[in-house]
Amino acid sequence: MSRDSAHNAARRGAESQRPSGAVARAGRRALLVVEDERHLADGLRFNLEAEGYQVQVAETGEEALEAFAGGAPSFDAMVLDVMLPGKDGFTVISELRQAGQFIPTLILTARGHPDDVLKGFAAGADDYLTKPFDLAILIARIRGLLRRSEWVRSEAKAPLPQRPKDRFTFADKTVDFNLLELRVKDHVFPLTLMEMNVLRYLIQHESETVSRKKMLEQVWGLHEDTDTRAIDNFIVRLRRYLEDDPARPRHLLTVRGLGYRFVANPVKTD
Amino acid sequence: MVVVSRRKSVGLFIALSVGLISVILLLYVGWVLLSWRTGVLLFLGILLLAMLISGVILNTFFLVREIRRNEQHDAFINAVTHELKTPIASIRLYLQTLQTRPVDDAKRAEFYRTMVEDSDRLLATVEQVLRTGRIGSAKGKPNLARIDLGEVVEECVTRARTLYHLAPEALAYTPGAGASILADMDEVQAAISNLIENAVKYSGGQVRVTVETATVDEEHVAVRVHDHGTGIPKTELKQIFKRFHRAPGPVAARIPGTGLGLYIVRSVAKRHGGRAWAESEGPGRGSTFVLQLPIAR
Repeated sequence: MSRDSAHNAARRGAESQRPSGAVARAGRRALLVVEDERHLADGLRFNLEAEGYQVQVAETGEEALEAFAGGAPSFDAMVLDVMLPGKDGFTVISELRQAGQFIPTLILTARGHPDDVLKGFAAGADDYLTKPFDLAILIARIRGLLRRSEWVRSEAKAPLPQRPKDRFTFADKTVDFNLLELRVKDHVFPLTLMEMNVLRYLIQHESETVSRKKMLEQVWGLHEDTDTRAIDNFIVRLRRYLEDDPARPRHLLTVRGLGYRFVANPVKTD
Repeated sequence: MVVVSRRKSVGLFIALSVGLISVILLLYVGWVLLSWRTGVLLFLGILLLAMLISGVILNTFFLVREIRRNEQHDAFINAVTHELKTPIASIRLYLQTLQTRPVDDAKRAEFYRTMVEDSDRLLATVEQVLRTGRIGSAKGKPNLARIDLGEVVEECVTRARTLYHLAPEALAYTPGAGASILADMDEVQAAISNLIENAVKYSGGQVRVTVETATVDEEHVAVRVHDHGTGIPKTELKQIFKRFHRAPGPVAARIPGTGLGLYIVRSVAKRHGGRAWAESEGPGRGSTFVLQLPIAR
């Protein structure tokens, strides 16, 4: 992806939040909608197709997994319901992540309890929206997901000097932004897109304290009063990868009442 | 995750009670060994011991039952949340679509139809929940009137055919000898509709449901709803009539529901001096639901 198209993506994102007519583009982006309620699935298909996306609907968790089974699937993002016949949405996303499938995923469900939201993010979702939802917001969030993955791809192909390098090494760890990997000694941890975005943001602001709200805005592109604890979940996961003792973090520090701070080379305390 | 921790706490309470009982027994054996000579004290001790042990057992029993009930209640809230929010989400989606996009006439008509169906579904769930409240309270007495059961059943069958788009051979009705009953029209209709709805919902791909009315003896008339669907394991035949109870297993989990339908059927039967029960040869072999009511003289 060239820098030009990244620029286009940014401009599209800056468009009004109202659903617009079809965006005439060559090579439409493909979405997988996993939804068992026929009415909702049809309505989503109609709207997303009007937005210029190619839409495929899967009615069960198994069907969704099958859509990814045949090697390289051609989806750019996925909208996933939780209460599905057979395997539920949480199982689907965590199985996909375990299999190394990092497709940007938005969970769209009637379950809005904080426990459910946290479970969704813990399973590997990139975004979470509860039903009933606002059509314009759903479309804006899908655009956001696509935009972000496009940025990641364009950065991977055409790194700009002011952006962080493809790799970042600190202590005995290496983050490979290109391969979405974190190497700690001999271990290689695959990171999800959102995990990597969180980590990238923290690394960009090394030694600074960043608030949860700021991270939500900058990493997720959210401006609403979302439950900011979703972030804590990402931090917990990242600590599990890159801290020797996740209970006593040395790199990803909690700043009480404020947020988090990334320290690349902590001063030895022992 | 929450359910797992509950399971753990049930185990914990049972372990606690077993532990307490063994401590009591141990103390008692020691006490008998010390004072086995004095007869009155021994008798008093046995009495106290029996009271203590039954107290602990009762306590554990109620605690475990309460935890189970709580679990079912949670499952019910989840199911109702889903049943209420899904049609609302759908209606809202279609309204916003119509608001923001140019839609041609054919699509527009289709969207209106979809929204009406969704509002019907919403209404059905709300009515089900409200009816449960009404029937569950001892105060509300049924509004009795003499009605022809055959007519009511026929009406329910006709309505179900339009609602689920079924051909007469998919949902067949065999009327028996006519019988009039003394009953609350609305409640009996709800009970029969629930039985038909279940039969259709649990039929799997191909719906083949038969409804029949027949006089059982001189005093009773029965409505039998028979399907060739998923069937019911023996252990579940009684359980499914309990409030909030939903059949476990992967097949049933695919079918939306609140766990109230059969509870309403059983409550309606009881309020009219009748009975309701289920028969099934086992999973995969269909099932028959019977609603038996007394004939009006």
